[in-house]
Amino acid sequence: MDLLLQTLINGILAAGIYALVASGLALAVGVVGIVNFAHGEFSMIGAFVSYLLFVGAGIDPLISLGLAALVLFVVGAITYYGLIRPVLAAPELNQMLLTFGISVALQNIALLLFGADTRVVSTSYQGATITLGGISFGAPPFAAFVLSVGLLGALYWFLGKTRLGFAVRAVAQNRLAPGLLGIETQQIYLLAFGLSAALAGIAGVMLSVMLYASPTVGFAYTLKAFAIIVMAGLGNLRGVVPAAITLALAEAFVSTYVPGGGGWVEAVFFLVIFVALTWRSWRLS
Amino acid sequence: MILAGVLLLLALVLPGLPLGEWRAFLLDTAQFAFLISGLALAWDLLARTGQLSLAHGAFFGLGAYAAALSAPALGTVPALLVGGAVATLSSLLLGLATLRLQGMYFAIATLAFSEVMRTLVLKAQFTGGSIGLPVQPAFGGAYPLGGYYLAVAVLVICTLASLLLSKSRLHFAMAATRQGEAVARVLGVPVVRVKLVTFMISAFLAGLTGGVYAMKTLFLSPYDAFGLGRAVEALVIPIFGGLYTTTGPLLGGLIIVSLETWLRLRIGEGYLVVYGLVLVLTILFLPKGLMSLFARRKGARHA
Repeated sequence: MDLLLQTLINGILAAGIYALVASGLALAVGVVGIVNFAHGEFSMIGAFVSYLLFVGAGIDPLISLGLAALVLFVVGAITYYGLIRPVLAAPELNQMLLTFGISVALQNIALLLFGADTRVVSTSYQGATITLGGISFGAPPFAAFVLSVGLLGALYWFLGKTRLGFAVRAVAQNRLAPGLLGIETQQIYLLAFGLSAALAGIAGVMLSVMLYASPTVGFAYTLKAFAIIVMAGLGNLRGVVPAAITLALAEAFVSTYVPGGGGWVEAVFFLVIFVALTWRSWRLS
Repeated sequence: MILAGVLLLLALVLPGLPLGEWRAFLLDTAQFAFLISGLALAWDLLARTGQLSLAHGAFFGLGAYAAALSAPALGTVPALLVGGAVATLSSLLLGLATLRLQGMYFAIATLAFSEVMRTLVLKAQFTGGSIGLPVQPAFGGAYPLGGYYLAVAVLVICTLASLLLSKSRLHFAMAATRQGEAVARVLGVPVVRVKLVTFMISAFLAGLTGGVYAMKTLFLSPYDAFGLGRAVEALVIPIFGGLYTTTGPLLGGLIIVSLETWLRLRIGEGYLVVYGLVLVLTILFLPKGLMSLFARRKGARHA
């Protein structure tokens, strides 16, 4: 019984960060209409920002969160303005190739700069655990979960309650009409892509504490975020949270109950994508 | 066409030329270039239907492992065919699940597929896992140049497939599918079947290429055979050379593999950065690749 409860808690805690990365990706896909294969690389940059600030200036990751969000918002805005905007009217194949190229370039630039080693931001509270009635879990994952929930709440509030948020959703629904109503479509795209990158960056800072910073750390999260938004329906932000919980729980159960499950966890996201797509295909035909 | 002929002739006589002490290195690099160009031609076939495949590295790896494992029992050529067949079968399953949907679903699924194949090969016992798998040379090592000429043969097969398909009825079906699925469907093109058939042909060629690669390197590891590098090479070469053409990937392969060989010697592991940059810059500034430069010049002469 305890094992089951522990597994459930592990899954739920992991779902927070998944939902954070995936809702950023859902913004890019849903609002800008770009399948961004470089999304995880924004997390990778966030992780390295956190690492460099911690090692270079002794800045605590909790403070780096804000800085990384700012840095990644700018990186995202520049990426949108310089690279994505020119291909918005190009065939889908070219758009996807472009973001894939950005992903490969960023990963390997990081490899040249930092090498393939994994670097951990080891804070004093890294190993701290919280014990509640026989169930114990790490303090950092719990903090990351709480923070993710808070940020997602803020994101939903922004999209659901503010005028700017309405504008973002309007652009997501129709490419042309919002322009006629006086909404600056280009600026909304810029905002959405910047936000998308900032969310990924924040998740990256969390990863630098809970996991590590390395050139390839983001790539796994790109794949998992894709699995989540494929389950939710591409660009559907509402479905992201339940989909993230499903994926995280599935992974937690495989890792606890499947013998030698450690390695198979890495295959769960593919099974999720495959099942979701097959189901969609069947419904279509 | 002419370039393809010249290249073929050069490839056939290359081992006979007096190359001096660079002979082994040159032949090895040439063999690698032929295989990667073949893979690029295979990728380009599918791109003609407007689909982005990030799984060609995985088909290459599947072909390599299947050929390597079946070669001792079956002999070289049947083993290569087994490699191609395994890749085709996996493409059929992947395609059935995804090719009915929008293109972005397909791209995502192929990327996930190539990642998961590496995980499976790492975990499985019979593939040697992370330790790797030693492979017998082609024809049991009876002919020193056997592997080299197999690579030439595979490149010829891929080139012929690319040429024949651009002359066939399927070519028009593929182009119509790429330019607008709804319109193609109205015109009576069985869009899903066209995409699926092309995907299977493309995967078969990629698997075949992988098998010959296995017999060239004599040792397979999941990180090498299923690395993202192969998938990246397979798509950067046709885009750089010129999409939807036969000459483009051949030309691109020659240039890019030369560049890669040089870069590997200079900067080692991070050489893929160049691929990323070439990809981004080509899409932004030369979306039709090198071939568009020639086409423009030809057009200017006519005017």
